[in-house]
Amino acid sequence: MRVGIPRGLLFYRFFALWKTFLEELGVEVVVSPPSNKAIIQHGLVYGVEEICFPVKVFLGHAYTLLGKVDALFIPRMVSFHKNEYNCPKILGLPDLVRNLFQVRSEAIIDEEVNMRDRGIRGWWEGFLAIGRRFTRDDRKIARALNRAEKAHREYRKKLQEGFLPENLIDHRPVFPRREKQVVLLGHPYLLGDSYINMNIVQKIHDLGYSVITPDMVPERTIRKALAILPKASFWTISNEIVGTAFSFLKKEDQNVRGFVHLVSFECGPDSLVGEVVERYIKREKRAFPYLRLEIDEHTGEAGLVTRLEAFVDMMEWRNAHHASHLPTPSAP
Amino acid sequence: MRATFPHLLHLDVALGILYPSLGIEIVPPPPITQKTIEIGVKFAPQNACFPLKVTLGNFIEAIERGADTIFMVGGVGPCRFGYYGQIQRIILEDLGYRVQFVLLDHPRYGVRSFLSALRAMTGGRLFLPEIVRVARLSFAVLRFTEELEAHRRALRCQVKDPQELDRVIDGTIEALRRVKTLRELEALKTSTLEKLDALPRNGRKDFLKVGIVGEVYIAQETRVNFNVEKLLGDLGVYVHNSVSTVEYILHTFRPLTRSREKLEAWELAKPYLKRFVGGEGIDSVGSTIRYAREGFDGVVHLYPFTCMPEIVAKGVLQAVSRDFDLPVLHLAIDEHSGEAGLVTRVEAFVDVLERRKQEKKRGLKRNGSLSRS
Repeated sequence: MRVGIPRGLLFYRFFALWKTFLEELGVEVVVSPPSNKAIIQHGLVYGVEEICFPVKVFLGHAYTLLGKVDALFIPRMVSFHKNEYNCPKILGLPDLVRNLFQVRSEAIIDEEVNMRDRGIRGWWEGFLAIGRRFTRDDRKIARALNRAEKAHREYRKKLQEGFLPENLIDHRPVFPRREKQVVLLGHPYLLGDSYINMNIVQKIHDLGYSVITPDMVPERTIRKALAILPKASFWTISNEIVGTAFSFLKKEDQNVRGFVHLVSFECGPDSLVGEVVERYIKREKRAFPYLRLEIDEHTGEAGLVTRLEAFVDMMEWRNAHHASHLPTPSAP
Repeated sequence: MRATFPHLLHLDVALGILYPSLGIEIVPPPPITQKTIEIGVKFAPQNACFPLKVTLGNFIEAIERGADTIFMVGGVGPCRFGYYGQIQRIILEDLGYRVQFVLLDHPRYGVRSFLSALRAMTGGRLFLPEIVRVARLSFAVLRFTEELEAHRRALRCQVKDPQELDRVIDGTIEALRRVKTLRELEALKTSTLEKLDALPRNGRKDFLKVGIVGEVYIAQETRVNFNVEKLLGDLGVYVHNSVSTVEYILHTFRPLTRSREKLEAWELAKPYLKRFVGGEGIDSVGSTIRYAREGFDGVVHLYPFTCMPEIVAKGVLQAVSRDFDLPVLHLAIDEHSGEAGLVTRVEAFVDVLERRKQEKKRGLKRNGSLSRS
């Protein structure tokens, strides 16, 4: 059986897990090619006009797989963290694909993975249900999930070490480290798809900075930093964005010079948590420069470059003029 | 303490009965106007959904009138509404307003903060028998305001003088503010229904029927949705609104209380949308299917621009509309919505429905059978 995984949204998070899990169950996995103009065009034409750009991209990828595979793999990732959710569009994703493209219900693997109330049990039951589509042997499913989780941990560890999803998935070359750094906030599906983000990592690199993304910050650090809020949001990835930003707020790290937050124009969660990040940065004595870059299908590359360059100029200026205000690193 | 709360249609009538008897002085926000919206838009995050902006405008206007405490409810997601209070609190802090922000959130975010918020919101008198009585009364009042609005929607196309209809209903809603007991409420109900019955009719029977579905705030709050239901009524359309604050509240306290309406809608939606996606997304799908089954001519889908659950619903509704051959008009509302454009779209929609209806009738006559419906 051939199963297609659309290259979009949570794919960038769970690439290793999903692929290993399915392959361990004897499934032939087909991942849609990296985003290109034609793929995205399908998403724009068949999608809902007001839906956010990453969902349109996902729909484009799903569309390109139609007819080439026996089933689409769009597990309903309701939640992968206790007490939290993913965004409503991810909750309804299989239904959107099914209704917009008129796909038969059986041709979408849409079993629900939901850790919100039942934690790890919801996780296991979700993958058990998915696995039972391919085998009746529950032990085989458990073994497959075990191996998949191991692959997932390795994938996450690599990301933490500074690799980007593209380095690992498509073996693209790694950018050499720069001394100066920018915290690049955003959802993994925006930061990971260099076609839709217009090569932002490369652009920042060319301007002389390395990036730190939420994937590079250990989850424990993120969660600890998040605790300064009376109530974190209920969206896991947005919380990771906030926690990442917060973890640098009070750090006396001279190399981190500013924050760039890449958001898609119609992203609901980021419209609120972005505000939290920006306001908390401004409340600090050492207020880092913060740039919010909104992208959607109409964003022009020239405008993005101009804004990035202006932002870099500001960071340089701030660093030169306010250096005396910065906390001095204690002598070793 | 001078407490305030966000507006939601006639919620202030019910809370105006509840709070004084809890010993809490309230300062309701002034009615929603263009100015409210402007204030909210100015200080809220640019891409936040519209209800956050309007309710922020409510709070600031109420603070300027002397409110020093804000009552707000939270939520568990995944819809943005559950995080409104946190964002609004941070914004008001940064603006330098010294107010107490009492945020009643789900106990899963901390039982202690839940209880302390509840205590603040009830003046610490939660379980006195008198409070139970007043709470029941104010809930019954809220329910009755919704019944009145349902009558208004249904009758506007049927009465000779719609202005008289408005006078009767608005008069009763004003009178509701002074109701003290359930018995008084019953008397007011009876007299109002008699008045409504007595309104002269225009004798029309073949009116179009349109259902409204959508997000709980935008689909109900006529002061921000350009009063689409009045617009439809004035065009001679019988309107039904599937959205209700009462059902919303009942559903919130499930499994203690349940909304049969909502559960039914969820069941109907299942073939198209398999699960809850936050907010009223699944209700919009289910209610549209119910309208199709009940022979409505069209559905208007009202929601805030960029509303996540309703955008999922919108995608799914394309299939529902196709399968049930039921036209659906999607209206996304925010501060940039213009009245003229909206009116034109609604009028065009009604024209389409009218023509479809005529064509169906003619088709029936030609075939001489009723089997083709």
